Amino acid sequence: MMNRRNFLKKAAAASAMAAAATMIPGILFASDQVDDNITGDINWTKGPCRFCGVGCGVLIGTQKGKAVAVKGDPNSSVNKGLLCVKGYHQIMCTSSADRLTKPLVKKNGKYVETSMEEALDLVASKMKETIEKHGKDSVAMYTSGQSTIPEGYVASKFMKGAIGTNNLDCNARLCMASAVTGFLTTFGADEPMGCYEDIEYANVFVLWGNNMAEMHPVLFSRMLDNRLTRKNVKIIDLATRTTRTSKAADKSILFKPQADLAIANAICYEIINNGWVNNSFVEKHIVFNKGKTNIGYGLEDKFKFKDKATPIDFEQYKTFLEGYRPDKVEAITGVSAKDIKYLASLYGDPNLKVVSYWCMGLNQHTRGTWMNNLVYNIHLLTGKISQPGNGPFSLTGQPSACGTAREVGTFTHKLPKGVVTNKKHRELAAKIWKVPYDRIPDKPTYHATEMFRAVDRGDIKFIWTQVTNPLVSLPKTGRYRPAMQKDSCFVVVSDVFPTPTSDVADVILPAAWHVEKSGMYGNSERRTQYWDKMVEAPGEAMPDAWMTIEIAKRMGYGDLFPYSKENHHEEIYNEYRQFHVGKKHNMAPVEVLKKQSGVIWPYIEETGKSTQWRFNSKYDPACDSTKEFDFYGKPNGKAVIWQRPYEPAPEVPDNEYPFWLNTGRVIEHWHTGSMTRRIPVLHQAVPNAYVEFHPDDAKQMGIRNKQKVKVISRRGTTVLPASINERGMPTKGQVFVPFFDESMLINDVTLDAFCPISKEPDYKKCAVRIEKV
Amino acid sequence: MRQGYIIIGFCIVLLVAAGIIVKASLSEEQALNYSEIIPMPGTNTLPIEEGVFKLSNNAEEFLDLVNRGVSSNQTLTSYYNRRAYPGAPPTIPHPTEEAHSMGGKDCLQCHQNGGYVDKYKAFAPVSPHTDYINCKQCHVPVKSTGLFKANNWYKMEAPEAKQQALLGSPPIIPHSLEMRNNCLSCHGGPSAPKEIRVTHPNRVNCRQCHALNDNAKNTTKIWTR
Repeated sequence: MMNRRNFLKKAAAASAMAAAATMIPGILFASDQVDDNITGDINWTKGPCRFCGVGCGVLIGTQKGKAVAVKGDPNSSVNKGLLCVKGYHQIMCTSSADRLTKPLVKKNGKYVETSMEEALDLVASKMKETIEKHGKDSVAMYTSGQSTIPEGYVASKFMKGAIGTNNLDCNARLCMASAVTGFLTTFGADEPMGCYEDIEYANVFVLWGNNMAEMHPVLFSRMLDNRLTRKNVKIIDLATRTTRTSKAADKSILFKPQADLAIANAICYEIINNGWVNNSFVEKHIVFNKGKTNIGYGLEDKFKFKDKATPIDFEQYKTFLEGYRPDKVEAITGVSAKDIKYLASLYGDPNLKVVSYWCMGLNQHTRGTWMNNLVYNIHLLTGKISQPGNGPFSLTGQPSACGTAREVGTFTHKLPKGVVTNKKHRELAAKIWKVPYDRIPDKPTYHATEMFRAVDRGDIKFIWTQVTNPLVSLPKTGRYRPAMQKDSCFVVVSDVFPTPTSDVADVILPAAWHVEKSGMYGNSERRTQYWDKMVEAPGEAMPDAWMTIEIAKRMGYGDLFPYSKENHHEEIYNEYRQFHVGKKHNMAPVEVLKKQSGVIWPYIEETGKSTQWRFNSKYDPACDSTKEFDFYGKPNGKAVIWQRPYEPAPEVPDNEYPFWLNTGRVIEHWHTGSMTRRIPVLHQAVPNAYVEFHPDDAKQMGIRNKQKVKVISRRGTTVLPASINERGMPTKGQVFVPFFDESMLINDVTLDAFCPISKEPDYKKCAVRIEKV
Repeated sequence: MRQGYIIIGFCIVLLVAAGIIVKASLSEEQALNYSEIIPMPGTNTLPIEEGVFKLSNNAEEFLDLVNRGVSSNQTLTSYYNRRAYPGAPPTIPHPTEEAHSMGGKDCLQCHQNGGYVDKYKAFAPVSPHTDYINCKQCHVPVKSTGLFKANNWYKMEAPEAKQQALLGSPPIIPHSLEMRNNCLSCHGGPSAPKEIRVTHPNRVNCRQCHALNDNAKNTTKIWTR
């Protein structure tokens, strides 16, 4: 089909050629000749954005071997040509003057430049020596939800298949682990059932502790666009802080920290009490369970917890909910019964399609798994799930938290398919990896927080981090920074730029950035996206996957990594695909990924199509076609409604530390800022972190805007300028600090309590006091 | 009798007024309604054509400005200084009062239709994509002029409209039109930088004569001399 644009273009070219040919007879004009001197003549190549889990399609413009411009990919159904300010300026970080281009090895307390060969030799021999002296479980690797699929896959194969230790975890533990355990406990299968196209069908969007206007701006713009063009579209913001999202929403409901547990249960109470339950759906597709209560907070080293599911019936669940009548929980939630009833009526109205969105608000929560379960409860009671415009949707923070961390499984308990504790899953991995089955240990070892505690205790004596900056992003960095500085642990850091983490490294390996290598990412809606290398990496910088392979070879595992340097990303992906063969998680072949702006798994081979709504037999061929819905992640095909109570946070404000501390992001900066702060436009927009106050609190303490104050907890202190009535406004008795600024480390102040089920830390709640400087 | 005529006359006035209001609101709704373009596989879902006729209501006034020699105080240099590369979203060069607002009306009150802003002694530039209201998603303020680390960013040269098929034939559009499909917002009106202001804004249907050089997907390569 020729659209008007192509028509115009072709018409212009054809007529011009014809005219020129008649004017200058005898000279032939090549129709495909392009003049390099023409400014603005840029080579555009598609790929996914480097930053968040939305996974926008971008076109990177290159000219003379340099990345010079970015625009949204109009062919990507994710963003339809729109990006955010980070996306538009992402390539600018690569030209930062302090780019790591040569390996740096610490010798007598000073970093010395070496060749890549020498640095890799040193890392491999150190790792080998450590294993020989202290055993396999004395070495660890800590990777990322920003690692590409091939990078995550070789890390898992190297640690679990070659060396034979489960000491592999990643920073996605800090952001997505509760979403995973939420999905697994309720549905038995990870990742959302719906897709972004739900936005075009839904009538109501309920945002649970999620500042989408800043954190998932392109999806938020899609929602706003639908509100403009369709009638009957509402956005409800449920939060503990007034943000741009609250201002743009049709209704903003503020609640007290940790009270989301009670709110969700109160909504379920109202749904049942008003007869809004979709009875036939519940009868056919649901079972009820309760789990353990008073499950702790993981504050002590070597904390262990295992949940136990006990079946209950609907009546028992109803009795449990009696305690959550909206007026009864007002004191806990700070939300009026009227507002909760209003929310319940939106979920309960059979004529309204409702999507719930959440991200870090529910996940970074000492009861994160429970909160994920509770939102599913609402959608399961009303049967509003797995249909266009209806469904709970867990958004991810990192570009491949789904594609790499969750699907490849770069967690201590995971394998590319399944878990290490399952014999069949270990057998499959051993078969594909061509390693002896008993080499893969059957017990998980350290999750992220515990891994760094083990470094501190001296149990881990070698750690290699890739694509992540834990000494800014871990909670309670005041403990883990000195831990990594100890002589007992040899630290290797692969990164594109120097960071506070590379500052404590014994060896720093320079890594290639995003478009300087080829790879695949998987976004929040199960969309796998491929990109080709577009520019050369500077100096000796190397793709992380290739570093892992080089180390593996040097340690004698070369036969397990028979990939070519030029095309390893594709060869690795083809091997990885074997893990997911079958209707439930089939991945698209690389040839298909190259052509399209991403494919949503399960990929249907017969039709060449994505599966947009899982568990619904109308859209998902993996379902039992005799049923309307089939939650095939569970052996009985039924999803679980979990009875999960409200339990308080581990540390609540008191006389000594009277404020809640909430941490998060701003639109301009990506996580620890190692990339975005090197992008002039973004740094100049938000040059430093700050602490936000409610204006009444500031007034009472006599704190003015921009005045420097100390934020003090039982763990540590950080000095920041105050921010009053600027970007956001916390509720009274709460302060908010963005965590991107390495010179104002708020994570020295935060608490390393985590959800006992997911082991994901809670960065949103701890107690602090404020002092003027 | 006379009273009757007055009432009838009044009713007619009301009807006409209502008609105008309805028509105006309908056309406004249409203008905002870009999602009606049905996405087809392999075609652009961003309606690159859609903005072409926007601001055309003002075209005669814009021509008048050209004829009277009224010039903008914005130059092409200042225009590009606000952009990290040609085509990048410009930064916000003035203080914004509503930091917790995503944009919307706060920005559009000046940037939807433009106009003279006494405070800045300048004409407000008109946004080429006023359907997007989360303005600060892409446009951010400048709070500091410092850098976190030095940067050797290579800013590519601005595109020039020098590519012509024949001497005197209309130049080809040298930049892509994504997010910039409303030609007159940059090339016409009082806020347009002098160097790129067209002499004939009243022709309105820009792309009748100016074709696009946009090898976005490395597919169609156009003819060059």
